[in-house]
Parts: sequence; C-alpha cells; structure tokens
Amino acid sequence: MLRTARFAFTMARRSITRRKFRSALTILGIIIGISAVVSLMTLGIGMKSQVESTLNEMLGAGIIINSSTYGIDIPEHVQYYVSQVPGVNKSIPIIMSMVYIGNKPHTVVGIDPEQANEVYQVTIEDGRGLRSGDMDAVVLDSTIASNLGVKVNDTITFNTQTGGLGKTFKVVGIIRPIASFGQFASIGCFITLDAAQDFFGTPDRVSSILIRLDDPSQGEQVEAILKQMFPDANVLRQEEIMSNINRIMSTIDGVLLGLASISLMVGALGIMNTVMMSVHERRREIGMLKAVGGERWHILIIFLSEALLISFIGGVFGCIFGLGGVYLIQWFVKTLGLNIIVPLLISPQILALGLMAALAVGSVAGFYPSWKAANVRPVEALRYE
Amino acid sequence: MSNVVELRNVVKTYDLGGAIKVDALRGINLNVERGEFMSIMGPSGCGKSTLLNIIGGLDSPTSGQVIIDGIDITHMSERDLAHIRREKIGFVFQFFNLVPLLTALENVQIPMIFAGRYSNAEIKERAIELLRLVGLEHRLHHRPNQMSGGEQQRVAIARALANEPSIILADEPTGNVDRETGLKIIHLMKNLNETLGQTFIIVTHDPDIAHISKRIIYMLDGQVIPEPPRLTMNPSSSILAEERRKMLLSELKWLEVSIKNLEAKKMKLNKESYLQAKLGYKKRLEMLKKALQEEYKGRR
Repeated sequence: MLRTARFAFTMARRSITRRKFRSALTILGIIIGISAVVSLMTLGIGMKSQVESTLNEMLGAGIIINSSTYGIDIPEHVQYYVSQVPGVNKSIPIIMSMVYIGNKPHTVVGIDPEQANEVYQVTIEDGRGLRSGDMDAVVLDSTIASNLGVKVNDTITFNTQTGGLGKTFKVVGIIRPIASFGQFASIGCFITLDAAQDFFGTPDRVSSILIRLDDPSQGEQVEAILKQMFPDANVLRQEEIMSNINRIMSTIDGVLLGLASISLMVGALGIMNTVMMSVHERRREIGMLKAVGGERWHILIIFLSEALLISFIGGVFGCIFGLGGVYLIQWFVKTLGLNIIVPLLISPQILALGLMAALAVGSVAGFYPSWKAANVRPVEALRYE
Repeated sequence: MSNVVELRNVVKTYDLGGAIKVDALRGINLNVERGEFMSIMGPSGCGKSTLLNIIGGLDSPTSGQVIIDGIDITHMSERDLAHIRREKIGFVFQFFNLVPLLTALENVQIPMIFAGRYSNAEIKERAIELLRLVGLEHRLHHRPNQMSGGEQQRVAIARALANEPSIILADEPTGNVDRETGLKIIHLMKNLNETLGQTFIIVTHDPDIAHISKRIIYMLDGQVIPEPPRLTMNPSSSILAEERRKMLLSELKWLEVSIKNLEAKKMKLNKESYLQAKLGYKKRLEMLKKALQEEYKGRR
C-alpha cells in the first residue's frame, strides 16, 4: 500500500513536470481559489479582533445610553439620575457627533476633560491635553493630524453637516490614536463638552451617557433598570453591541468566503479536467498496468495522487499568495487614502485550513476521473493503437 | 510434465447488441505444458488475441473452462483475476506498453510493487538482475523514449519475468521492430525458455518465430487447426489457400512497415548495416511478391 503510494507519487510528480504548462495552469486555478480564501479569512479574523479591541477602548464603558434619534437631545441632568442607579460606578455625559473638517466627515467627541481619562486611555504625544474651559481648542490623534497635515498650534475649521458657518479650532495637542476602525467611527478628535454644546447649538444637551459599572457581570441588571427609567432612550450594553457587530462581521465573512469558494470551485474543475485528460491520454498505460496485475485501487491511487499533488502545490502557493494579498489590500487601502487600518494576523490555523481545503478540493475533483481510470477494461484499452 | 494451461471447450461470443453476435472462439481445447515455446498463428480476426486474453485472465470465456497452473480461473472475480495476472502471467505487447514517465528500472519494478512479494531492496535488486538478463544493464535509468524499439521490448520482457510467472504471453512481440531486432528478441525469448524453462505462448505473424517454436498451433475462425498449413500445403483446399494468402499479405504489410521504419532510422544507423538490412528486406519482399503472384495464378 505504502509502496504503491510512493510509486504513484513518483509517477504523479513526473506527469506534472512533463506537462509543465498544463499543470501550471491547473495549479494556478487552485492558487487563485486558495489565496482568495486565505486572504479573506485572514482579513476577516484581523478585522474582527480589531473591531473587538477598538470597541472595548472606544466604548470604554459597560453601558451606553444614546438618544433614540441619535441626535443631541438628552438633557445633561439625566446623568444625575443615571449615577444613582445601583451598580453604576461612573456616568459621563458626552456629545459624539459628526463634523466636516475640510470636506471629510469626522467623529468629534465633546467630553469633560476631567473625566476623559475615565473612559479613554489618552497618551499625549505633543502639546497638551484639553483643559476645562477650552472653548476653541481641539486635540487630535496623530493619524488624523497627519491626514489633515496639521501640527500643534495649527488651526482647523469644523463645519456641520448642513454646512453653514464653520468654527475655527486650534490644535493644542496630539495624542496617540485611541481606537479607530474606519473613519466614520474613529474616535480621535476631542473638544470639551462645553465647546461641543456651543458648536452644535445644544446647550444642556448631550448625545450619549457612558456608564462604567462596579461589576461587569451586573450589566444586564443595570441595563434593565435603565431601560425602565428611560423607555425612550437607546440603552446599549457593550456585549450586546459586540455580538451585533460580530454578527454583521460573520455575515460579511460568509459572503466573502462564498465568493472565494466559487473561485476554488473553478480550480476544482481545472483539476478534474486535467486528470480526465491524463486518464484519456494514458488509457493504454492503464490497460498495461491492469494486465501486469494492477487492481482498481492501484490505478485509483496513481491518478488520485496526481490530483492531490497538483492541489497540494496549489495550496502551498495559495497560502503564500493569500498572505501577500492581505499586504496588497493594506497597500491599496493606504494608497486610496482611506483611514482604515487593515490588520494582519497570520494564523497557522488559517494556513492549515487553506492547505486542507486545497487537498479536499483536489481529492473530490480528482476522484471521478480516477475512478473512471480504475474501471477501464484492460482488453479494450490494449486493443488498438 | 504438468499442464500450465488447460482450455476445455472454451467459447467466446461477443454480443454486439441487438441480435448480432460474433463468435470469436468456438470451442477451443488446448493444453500447454510447462516449459513449452509455442506459437499461435492465424490471420487477423481468427481469435488468437482473444484466446491470449482469456489465457491471461484479461477476459472471461462465454462458456468452457480455463485452468491456469491448476487453478480454475473461469469464474473468478476481477480482483482475483488481477491477482492471477500478477502472480502467474507475464505480458509482452506489440507496442511495448512501457510507462513513458518511468525509467527502464522502474518499469520492471511495477509488477513487483503491485504484488508485494518482495521487499523494496529485493525489488530493486531483482529489477537490475532482470535487466542484466535481457542485456540492458547499461540502460537502467533510461526512459522509453531514450531507447530503441528493441530495447523497449527487452525491458517489457524483463517486466514480464518480474514475478516469476508460470507463462509469458506475447502478442506480436516483433510486430513493431525491424527484422534484425525482431530476431534478437526472438532469440532472447528462446534463450529464456531454454535456460529458465520459462513457458512462452506467442501470437505472431512472424515466420522466424514460428520457425524456432517447438510447437505451432494454427487458428482459423475461432478454432484450432491441428495441422499447421505450411507454404507447401496443397492449395486446393480453398479455405487454407485463403488463409495462406492472408498470411502472405500480412507479412507483406509487416515488411513494408519495417522498411519504412528502417528508412526513418536511416540517419542513426551506420551505412553498412543499413544497406545490409535494406537488402535483406528487399530480397524477402521479392520472394513474397512472387509467392503471392503464384498464389493468385493457382487460384485461377
């Protein structure tokens, strides 16, 4: 058995090298499929972990209360009632809304500077942090600053979505990026809560209240109480948001993987075709192998190993190119100037999976033609030249 | 002496669909003793290849009994037949049928790899030994396309010997090589027959093979004819005359192919041996044509 397998492998290797061009095309088909699968899965996993860690940092809170309209219309004093709910350790009112800087939308956060550190981990790289009473000072994270091409002491102008007159802010500090995944959701532009209320024209109103819990396991209880207290508001628990986002990510993952599988399927057809042609060309050889005592399984192994070898080579290169593809996407995203960090997590499981997928595809696609080869009747195969 | 092959009233009918049936073999009775060197002659379509396939376990008879080396293989399953083929039978084909991807050494190893009778080291050693036996020790690592037709056929003979078969079945072993090479192959087989006591059954049109065979059986329309019709036979029997003509014609065809092969290889051969071979063919061709002319004259 082992001996036959080794012998079959030798034949497969030579068969592949003898028909270099044909084999290369078939292998290319598998490479495309596997590299698509590997790169999309790597991207998917990277994005997911990025989103998770970002959300953790961004929300910085166990529970977040939003206005049901997502506008800035929660009275600031509601925060007092929230802070009285048992289990609530800290409650911080903020404004999180969208402004245009230049012509690009950015999320700006208006927060009391004293409390900013309670939810966000702020590390100042240049200049200073916000201070209470700063009405025209802004702190940017270094990514946004470099995208806008501004340094400390430069000025930038905020516009609202509806246009109108903008307001000029002075960049007083640059901080290390806190968390960002996609420019719409990145948190990297801070002004004081007072300045935000002034800019948006919403005195005594906030858009959200961030809540930190005494004990994270009480989340559900606190959420229930808050929902009872503020039936009109949007009470979101971090875990819930997380699972929602995960669900969305999985759907995207699924769709992308589905697309990748189609290309893998095409690769499989290539293998089937190649082995089929090989069987056709080598009919006499099959007849001879049977005449000298080869059984069905001998012939099956000989042709199946050709399919497996092709798919193995395709799988290895597919994994390599798949990882290369992730770099390519990163580069592409950067060149387009999108403020999205595409993370790259090389996981051995994905590579193993890619290789296994290739072998599985190879054996399934190779089985039918190999089975046909195994059932060739020697008398007929040997009869004519 | 024991019989290696016993055929009892073997009939093979091909059903071509509908009511069309072709009788390829009509009741063959044949015993072949161990150590025989036997030729089967007959015109194309007389059933000699079918007979060879049935003896070799590649095909099953419609009725009758096939006994190889004391084992009744008539109703064996495909798997058991494969087993018989690799343990008891060696095949030599007209078109050599070597695996083009493998070297001479590897081709000879195939039946032993399938059989699992020897260890890896033994397989290799034995394959080298067999190639030495057929005079190809200098061609161990050559692929079929790097060898001449004669060399390829000798590799095929070494392969047939691999599992020490009870019988070697050869179907037109010299049908695809020039006459000189054909003679070498015939002598190799004859030699193996005499030194190893290897049993050979050879289907052939080649008079040279027939000539050195200890026994010739002649087949016609799916039956064995006990007395081989020699060229000197009385042509008054119309069936035999017809057969004689067919045989002459088939040899004529064979000669023409051989001459064509020789022409194709002209550049590779040295001039003298080329001219010699060509002369030999020419002479033979003349003889054949004359014989054929007489044959047709006699018919009128």
